[in-house]
Amino acid sequence: MPSSVSNSAPAHEMDRSQPAVVVEDLHRTFGALKAVDGVSFSIDHGRVVGFVGANGAGKTTTMRIMATLDSPGSGRVCMGGHNVVHHPAKVRRLLGWMPDSFGTYEHMTVLEYLDFYARALGFKGADRLRRIQEVMDFTDLTPLADRMSNKMSKGQTQRLCLGRALLHDPQILILDEPAAGLDPKARVELKNLIRILAQEGKTILISSHILSELGEMCDSLLFIDKGRIVHHGDAESMVRGTATAGETLVNVQIAGEPAKLIEWALTAPLIKIEEETKRGARLRIQAADDDTLSGVLRRMIQDGLPVLDYHREERRLEDAFIDMLGQIDNNTFKAPQPPAGLPQKNAEDVK
Amino acid sequence: MNVALTLSDFPDRLSPMVVKELRQGLRTRLFGGVLLTLHLMLVLLTLLSGGAENTAVVSGWFDGIITLVLCIIMPLRGFSAVADELKSGTLDMLALTRLSAGRIIFGKWAAIASQSLLLMLSILPYVVARFVFGGLDLFGEIAALFYKWLAGVVIAAVIVALSTQRQFWLRALVVFLPLMIGGCGAFSFIVMSRMGTSTPSGSMFYFFTKSGGGTAPLLAVVMAAWAIFFFLSLAATRIAPTASLLSVIKRSVHLLMIFALLLLGWLTSAGVASMAALVVSVLPLLMMDALTERVNEVPSVYAAFYQRGCLGRAAMWLLAPGWVTGLVYSALLVALAVGCVGWTRSVEEAKLVVVSAAGVWMIAALVQLFSTRRSRDLLPPFIIFWLLVNVVIAMLGSLLVMPVAMRSTTAKFTSLLPQLFPLGYATAQPADKAALLDLGVLTACIWPMVLLIAAVLAWRHARPARQEGWRMIHCQKGGTAV
Repeated sequence: MPSSVSNSAPAHEMDRSQPAVVVEDLHRTFGALKAVDGVSFSIDHGRVVGFVGANGAGKTTTMRIMATLDSPGSGRVCMGGHNVVHHPAKVRRLLGWMPDSFGTYEHMTVLEYLDFYARALGFKGADRLRRIQEVMDFTDLTPLADRMSNKMSKGQTQRLCLGRALLHDPQILILDEPAAGLDPKARVELKNLIRILAQEGKTILISSHILSELGEMCDSLLFIDKGRIVHHGDAESMVRGTATAGETLVNVQIAGEPAKLIEWALTAPLIKIEEETKRGARLRIQAADDDTLSGVLRRMIQDGLPVLDYHREERRLEDAFIDMLGQIDNNTFKAPQPPAGLPQKNAEDVK
Repeated sequence: MNVALTLSDFPDRLSPMVVKELRQGLRTRLFGGVLLTLHLMLVLLTLLSGGAENTAVVSGWFDGIITLVLCIIMPLRGFSAVADELKSGTLDMLALTRLSAGRIIFGKWAAIASQSLLLMLSILPYVVARFVFGGLDLFGEIAALFYKWLAGVVIAAVIVALSTQRQFWLRALVVFLPLMIGGCGAFSFIVMSRMGTSTPSGSMFYFFTKSGGGTAPLLAVVMAAWAIFFFLSLAATRIAPTASLLSVIKRSVHLLMIFALLLLGWLTSAGVASMAALVVSVLPLLMMDALTERVNEVPSVYAAFYQRGCLGRAAMWLLAPGWVTGLVYSALLVALAVGCVGWTRSVEEAKLVVVSAAGVWMIAALVQLFSTRRSRDLLPPFIIFWLLVNVVIAMLGSLLVMPVAMRSTTAKFTSLLPQLFPLGYATAQPADKAALLDLGVLTACIWPMVLLIAAVLAWRHARPARQEGWRMIHCQKGGTAV
């Protein structure tokens, strides 16, 4: 697989004096439902940003508006310096869009599918054939060129869709749940492709439910809940921000039946059982200092538990996300300040 | 693998949509099946046509099979053309390419038209064979075959336009209901039944068969091209981005076509009166298109008009996307039609045109009054109301009119409903006709008034978008930031 898919043709018109993506006070309602309720964020050029939220949180609606496929109720969305409502054609030249669900065509091979989109994107003659070959090589679709496009596995279809989105060498990629329904191998392949694209300096907004993967791939994460952005920052700040002060998660494994450990934990002070595991349990200890944590281990051994493994767990992004949703429901969540550098309205708005 | 060799089946100059649709279409079992079956039957019929005693029967079968294939089976291939793309999400991906909504729709239609053309050309040898064996009029047969193909591609345009509606039942209703009751398309049925009764010599059918003289073949081609443009542009509007200005092109072309037809009538033996009747026949469709566009709230749409100064601002009232300007446009069309009919035919017929137009305004008013304001596309409710009012109420109403007519009295209540009026007028006592017509015109004026009130409110609602559009131009000219 080649390391690059960038087109040799000149890049499309893009205003680099502004962030690649600017979303300001975006609202969108469907009847009585507020799908997007005052969303604001910006993404600098060449950044990879994860977009996280529960089903129905407003991710897809926001992404569709950014991709010029839906109209905002109010607010402003600029991609590469062009307003998505006023100049959809300019935005579309800069944009690669991979939807969460899409169909392929009957009676059409992979090669013909890419050929059709290459023609539709304005490629002609040898240039078109060269570009198709580049994209097929990049997405490893060359061996599948003669396969009917509607007779492929989910992973292959996702690669085909990514290939289609890359045909015109877009500078901004919007990927809506690209890893949904993929097996682990296909997921790793997709992750590698996205990593290469990020290295090429493309701006990528990617939504996913697999938070650990997003944490690895993305420079920052956007969390959306009930149509509002509730966090915009890197994964670490998210984990720190929602952590309950003075608590530690400890993973314990013992020899023999884990019931002994559970029984012990139920009676021990400062300890709650977070989750039973195959050979032990994850325990939440109401302390964070090293003395208390080592004291707990000492007591376990003194009480006759055959401890095999005892280690402090790093907080997972999934836990942080679930905690954050819980805090929002309990009205105890402190919303972070909007990220710095959000551009003000200016003449570019009316380009 | 050799990519160049594999993809060299279609040249670059062909529209990508046509290439895609042809690649897919020619591989379907339906096309292959139809082609084989058609040829098998035609071979049989050609062999049978050798005997003089059964020429008429064989000709009937020959024409019937070709009509079925070219005018029904092939056009029906477009039944889900756009709806399938909408449902599978592929239309979104198409929208992000350089293909405009118009090119997407045209490609869908062109693929069907070219496949029909392939079928038609493959039929030609049988026509020649029948000429050789049966001594038929070769030119007449080829001309008939061409007209069938032409009718088929017009029907294909109607069906492709309908396919922009997601609701299967609505598409099925519009296509199959008229087939069941003997027409060949809901709108043609309604136009024929409505306009045909109100102005007896006003229907297209009448025009092409009874008048038109030597210009009829040319007119048939021109009218077919106009109909295809109408339905394809109607479909393109339904899938185009909100910031598109398709209405400018559509409405300008329709106006130009009307003027061109009237000019043609004036210059040729066909006459302005016949052309005016033709214009009246297509009036309901043009009005429907203009009155079902959603009011546009995208500033750049209005900025495009403000950019062109006073002329642009004046044009905005007529050509800007949305049913509000559509109302002004429809009023202009009706005024044109009334003027032409009044000038070339009679004041009485001109008044009938007003009542007929009010029938369309009534449907648009019902859509505004009863359909949800959040509905993005006003065409489905319009079609539903149109079918309900024209088919159901008009049919039931005729049951009420007939007993009154049989008692040799005038059914004055028909003046309340434009759809019923032609029937009431046709069965009215000669002495009552003038008064009934005046009453009909008077009550018909209610509907444009209702629409006008709704239009003022909708226009006010879009005011911020217009102001923003104006500011966009003003700031660009002044070079200052907003």
